[in-house]
Amino acid sequence: MKRLELREVTVNFGAVHALAGVTLALSAGEVLMLVGPNGAGKSTLMNVLLGLVRPDHAELRVDEELRSLRGHGIKESVGFLPEAVAFSESLTGRQVLRFFAWARGVPRKRIDAVLARVGLAHAQGRSVRGYSRGMRQRLGLGVAILSEPEILILDEPTGGLDQEGLTVLWSVLEEWRAKGRAVLLASHDLALLERRVDRICLMSRGRVKTEGTPEALRLRARIPHRVTFDLNDCATERVEALVAALAEIGLTPSERVDRRFFVDVEHDALLPLMAAQARFPDVVAQLRVLEPQLDQIYERLLEEAPAS
Amino acid sequence: MSRVGLALIVHEFLERLRDRWVIVISLLFALLASGVGLYGRAAEASATALTGPSLVTLASLLVPLVALVLGHDAIVGERERNTLGLLFSLPVGRLEVVVSKFIGRGLALTLAVGLGLVAAMLAAGPGEAEVLAQLVLPTILLGLAFVSFGMLISAVTSRQVTAASLVVVTWFVLVFFYDLGVLALLVATDGAVGQETVALLVAGNPAGLYRVVLMQNLAGPEVLEGLGLTAQLPGPLAQAGIWAAWILGPILISGAFLRAQKVVR
Repeated sequence: MKRLELREVTVNFGAVHALAGVTLALSAGEVLMLVGPNGAGKSTLMNVLLGLVRPDHAELRVDEELRSLRGHGIKESVGFLPEAVAFSESLTGRQVLRFFAWARGVPRKRIDAVLARVGLAHAQGRSVRGYSRGMRQRLGLGVAILSEPEILILDEPTGGLDQEGLTVLWSVLEEWRAKGRAVLLASHDLALLERRVDRICLMSRGRVKTEGTPEALRLRARIPHRVTFDLNDCATERVEALVAALAEIGLTPSERVDRRFFVDVEHDALLPLMAAQARFPDVVAQLRVLEPQLDQIYERLLEEAPAS
Repeated sequence: MSRVGLALIVHEFLERLRDRWVIVISLLFALLASGVGLYGRAAEASATALTGPSLVTLASLLVPLVALVLGHDAIVGERERNTLGLLFSLPVGRLEVVVSKFIGRGLALTLAVGLGLVAAMLAAGPGEAEVLAQLVLPTILLGLAFVSFGMLISAVTSRQVTAASLVVVTWFVLVFFYDLGVLALLVATDGAVGQETVALLVAGNPAGLYRVVLMQNLAGPEVLEGLGLTAQLPGPLAQAGIWAAWILGPILISGAFLRAQKVVR
């Protein structure tokens, strides 16, 4: 698969428009993250692709070829991790994987590889009853990657994962990207995932608000960076000269405390600011640039962007 | 049947064998059944007169309970664990999932019933085994009917505790109160309801059909006449139809229910 497209997906639950004509494309080697508030339609969109929600209207194309969403659709090519998956408590981790291996026609030796991959080899003989939430999530991830599917669909994959679990997840995302497969995931953990995904699709009220690379969305939001100037113990005139130099490029300190002041700078003004302050090495002891918080960016985009 | 369906049958069968509840109730049935067998042996009574009817009574109480317990969490359990979506994301149809789960659980039920009855036969002694063997097929059919009904409960409920409550209600209604209801009907109508209707009403309930047919086969029609049931029971073909309806009906309704759902989760 090189490219998968879901076009004009509409799902209504009575008077509620869960998805209102959403179009989404996923390319090979891409990790795409759906973000948005609860009820935005992220899970519904993934469930349409999985055949778990019957859309009122949708068109699925794989490499430009029209495919049915009824019947088995693209189920052979998909691995799925549901949100907060639990599994039967009377089974061991290995038994859970063994069933999915049978069902997917995966050779048994792959089970050992997956158990090792998700860090559950030591707990494979224990019943799921004794697993922590993070271990269950890792087992779910193991089920999802068992058949090495072309498309991984992960709903809130970071839920309950500790650092070790996150490392496993990052390596899976890297592997799928490197092997030219695709990952579609939905998450509220923006800070954790932002640097691990290639594209972000921002959804709200059943519509796609905006999409793009994390960097593009950051620029589009136009939320200023906060630059902190820590000053040396120097003459007041030199400090005023620095402030004047900043004023020449349209920047004014927003806050001043003793030997420190703050300037709010939009992304494209960062370079002129650097150039200006470089003329005052005797004044500026340290400069720190704080990027806007991701939550702020997405809140801004949700407020501003027209639905597409 | 697809690869997923076959895997699901084996998985369901093995998982039920690890289910503590199922193990406990099955062992209880085997224990009581062998107790009945030993009692018949000690009393030196024939299997048709004592052991057989006693086993029928025991099985008509316990087997529906084991079967309902086996079926009641088939779908709703997956729903609560958030694995129903995972299951349906496999290349398998919704009806096939229901049928596969039924077959897997039905096999576990067959094993449990088989063990119980074999225990009773061994306890009753070699001379009586042939008579008691008549119970095997009807008892399995009885169990399958209730597994099927348990799965219907499981498909239409959204919480396991609701399904468990409905299981208890179903067991009391069909196993205990149904016959009382028929009796109440007779009393209320002052016997105006015909014997044929009464026979049909009794045979329409799988627990009733199981009891009256086996009682008649083991101890003769005079046993039923003694209970006031003088009409002819449905013939073998009609009985097969009733069993088929009770076993296949709830499964097909469960499958249709899941297929009709816009969202499976």
